[in-house]
Amino acid sequence: MRPYVLAAVALFATVVATGLAAQSAAAPDLSGSWAPYRGGRGADPKFAAPPATEILLKGEYKKSWDARRAAEAEANKKGEPLATPAVECVPYGFPRMMSVALYPIEILPSAKQVTIITEAFSEVRRVYMGEKQQPIDEVPPGYYGHSVGRWEGDTLVIDTVGIKESIVAYQNLPHSSQMRITERIRLVAPDYLHDQITIEDPVALEKPVTYTLAYRRLPNYKMVEFVCENNREYTDANGAVKLRLGK
Amino acid sequence: MRRLLALWGVVGLLALCGGAARLHAHHSFAMFDTQNRVTLTGTVSKFQWTNPHAYIEIDVPDGNNPPKHWTVELGSPSILMQGGWKFSDVKPNQTITVVLNPLRNGDPAGLLVRITLADGRVLANGPGPTGGN
Repeated sequence: MRPYVLAAVALFATVVATGLAAQSAAAPDLSGSWAPYRGGRGADPKFAAPPATEILLKGEYKKSWDARRAAEAEANKKGEPLATPAVECVPYGFPRMMSVALYPIEILPSAKQVTIITEAFSEVRRVYMGEKQQPIDEVPPGYYGHSVGRWEGDTLVIDTVGIKESIVAYQNLPHSSQMRITERIRLVAPDYLHDQITIEDPVALEKPVTYTLAYRRLPNYKMVEFVCENNREYTDANGAVKLRLGK
Repeated sequence: MRRLLALWGVVGLLALCGGAARLHAHHSFAMFDTQNRVTLTGTVSKFQWTNPHAYIEIDVPDGNNPPKHWTVELGSPSILMQGGWKFSDVKPNQTITVVLNPLRNGDPAGLLVRITLADGRVLANGPGPTGGN
């Protein structure tokens, strides 16, 4: 083989190898199903989520949050827990959907869009990669808002705005229309994923709240369908959860 | 003996996973009396494999009175499958034994703690004590 052909082949191989290395370094493979981390079953405790920061709400937001928590505690004591929208089969919305009991999530990454599907309530988020975020006041308020993403090294950074004010966030936090949520998602080990979530809300929060959700890879898991149907639990006139008995 | 071992396995699992399952629960379980348990053996009239919860309806013999009907709330199909369940594990007319946390208001219903199926297998309400819901 002639030297220039060899050189061309070598150059091509180098370009391909460099490209692949760059791609794998920049975008670790987050694809597949992930279960919320819990101890036991061989889980490595060093990949459990670190503690969350303190929640400091402002004025009216603090009052309503404190009142709701006190009412919940009182209702639970009486054995008549207060209903949440989920009791009526209404999905959680973002960010609460990212951690529901033991239900897995599924991540479908692609160059233009990262799609996250939750098993509980089959909720779907679409993260538009490389796009510019819209001004908050131009996003129609919804359950999932508008999310844009980018890679910062090995970390997928997602910016979300436009969450409806009726959708409570982490720890049932109330929020204003100005809430912005930043996620930093990365593999902390080949089979452990952390989603560090920071909630900023200059209207409702004295300072941002950061908490982390930890997940463990579920190899070969097939997501189970979840259609909320024929619900036997309901909200009574006092806002408490009740159960319809069968015959 | 084998059943006893299976039972201890379940107890161990419950001890291991208890806290995490309730941490992000679908709703509060305060309508159930989790401090008390009722054990019932009866005949299945219906098994409802649905979201957000599955249900078993059973008729429990009550001496010379007509059988008493009970409603048993379970986790969701996904959570039950994580605990080793199949949609076909319970069928009408089978005799089963259930351990429940009864409703606090006294109605004949409760949250499943564990079940002994017609074939003798013992299953919990998913991988955690409440089915993780």
